[in-house]
Amino acid sequence: MRTLLLSTAVVALLAVPAAAQTRTLTVATAGSQNMVDYVTDYLGPLFAERYPDVTLEVLGTGPGDAGSQAIYERLAAQRNAGVDVIDVDVAVVHQKMGGQMVDEGLLAAYRDAIATGALVTAPTAEMALGVDVSGYVMPMFHSQTAWAYNSAVIDTPPASYAELAAWVEQHPGLFGYNGIRNGMSGVSFVVGWMYANTPFAEQLAQGPFDSGITETAEWADALASLAAFNDHVTFTPGNAGTLDMLNRGEIMMGPVWVDMFYTWQADGRVSPDMRLTLPSPGMPGQPMYYVIPEGAGEPDLARAFIELATSPAVQAEGIVEQFNWYPGIDPAHLDGYLAPESWEALFAEITPEDLTAYSRSFPIADYFDTILVAYERDVE
Amino acid sequence: MVGSGIRNLIGLLLIAPAGALVLGLFVYPLGLSLIGAFGPSVEGGYPAPFGRFRNALDLYADDVLFSVLVIGLSVGIIAVLTVIIAGYLTLGTSPLAVAVLRWLYRWPLFIPFIVAAQAMRGFLARNGLMNNTLVELGLLTPLSAQSFLDWRGIVITMVWKQLPFAVLLVAGAMAALDRSTIEAARNLGAGRVRCLIDIVLPQVRATFGVALVLSTVVMSGVLSVPLMISAHSPTMITAQMAFRINAHGDYGTANALGLISYLLTGAVAWFYLRQGLREKG
Repeated sequence: MRTLLLSTAVVALLAVPAAAQTRTLTVATAGSQNMVDYVTDYLGPLFAERYPDVTLEVLGTGPGDAGSQAIYERLAAQRNAGVDVIDVDVAVVHQKMGGQMVDEGLLAAYRDAIATGALVTAPTAEMALGVDVSGYVMPMFHSQTAWAYNSAVIDTPPASYAELAAWVEQHPGLFGYNGIRNGMSGVSFVVGWMYANTPFAEQLAQGPFDSGITETAEWADALASLAAFNDHVTFTPGNAGTLDMLNRGEIMMGPVWVDMFYTWQADGRVSPDMRLTLPSPGMPGQPMYYVIPEGAGEPDLARAFIELATSPAVQAEGIVEQFNWYPGIDPAHLDGYLAPESWEALFAEITPEDLTAYSRSFPIADYFDTILVAYERDVE
Repeated sequence: MVGSGIRNLIGLLLIAPAGALVLGLFVYPLGLSLIGAFGPSVEGGYPAPFGRFRNALDLYADDVLFSVLVIGLSVGIIAVLTVIIAGYLTLGTSPLAVAVLRWLYRWPLFIPFIVAAQAMRGFLARNGLMNNTLVELGLLTPLSAQSFLDWRGIVITMVWKQLPFAVLLVAGAMAALDRSTIEAARNLGAGRVRCLIDIVLPQVRATFGVALVLSTVVMSGVLSVPLMISAHSPTMITAQMAFRINAHGDYGTANALGLISYLLTGAVAWFYLRQGLREKG
């Protein structure tokens, strides 16, 4: 018995180096739990079929910009410490951080080296909030903010920011959003307000940065009118908080992420009475990017992983059908991979025309910060 | 002589792992953030050394005041309720009521702040469980129902979560008292309230103070509760620190806010220690 135990232990010890030789691909993803779920439950098994000897390790770094900030700090710290092999092979980051990472030379250019690189046509694959990221990023998906409203109570929702401002005066407290500190749907609403109420929409989104516009009367008026608007609204605790309050009937309207809205509705957590509308002159949406850190240990596997993740079949089934995001590659390439019902369901309430007309990008990074600071100083 | 030298060395070796942990994981990062609080501000362009404090107070003076008021109010409510609950546990005459209370009051101790905050989100909302129950009972009309998801929600959650901790400490100290003093007072005709205030409380003052100071420290550091309960502004310092880092990557101002928060809790602890020393001396 004892010999058996001993020999088992010896075998186990010998087996360890053999197991360590299998390769490991580390994927770090910012974003909410659904992003981690997508990589572990959907992409992981698909990748394992093709690369059975590779272990996939998924690291969720948390929702919102904080998640991307955590990935950035990890990469920057390793580079500053002179580490030879960076311990992240693929990262999924937000648009703003994608630009900053390219700017600081933390990422490797890889898009031209993968087969799906040519399938991307979105402008966000070239420019990320004012930074040229061409070649360094592949959009995983596009996500869009819009206003959700309770159609059992509201027949015709306000179609623009101006109409909304009038609407909340007649219906105080029935519009709700989450400020700027509790999730991006609130930030997006504020950015949309600045696009709508200043003449600087183009400049905010495209640059160049000129802090002079914050001195103008139009800028001050937009902030003052937002402060007045805030007197008539309800503040919600977070992106999920807005949907919860809509569903409990505490508010009748509020800004939400389209993918989150559809996912909750499919799960039965949001009433079918809720509908979406994308107002004039538009609200921001953003992509998440797949990136490969410069100096990653497994660049070949990383490219293979991203190639799989951005292939038309995966984009159709995973991104659109299962997670209700808009595809990262050009939708034309999904033809034949996607059931017509899924396509129609995705565009039922916000049509492709609405998206073309009213889907905006977030402002360039400097203006983005400027708007957040202005909101803290002058609106709250 | 030699023996005591070796013993000293062994003693040092024994505490070395714990000491290294404290140094590496607490003192070193604390030092870094203290240093990081001083310097020119990225935003607002204030010069070193106090630029980051000026920027922090420029933007968040009302949040600092809000935190002080919310924590002060919470500590006040905790103090009153602690005296009532611990007093009843010590002086209560109905064994059944005491047993039920003893069993019940500890529950929130085992629930993390973030879970408590999530539960309160559903409980305190305008059409949440609390208001719906009141409406069903006919105590409230649906139109007059209002949301408690603002500073009141923060206070309610903090008190709910921190009260059992304070009661545990104070009731323990009360139970350890020499009961003959209480019985003597009762025999001389003192009522239970009088007995609690004049006999029991003065004897557990030190523990009572510790419970309140520790509660203050814990509540000053909670991020999940203000973040999940209230999107209003002003909010608590912790939420603003997180926002500075997450939205702006601005560790300088966040460090300055952290130091302000540290000074505030430090002031409470200092005040308490000074009181204690004066009584002893």
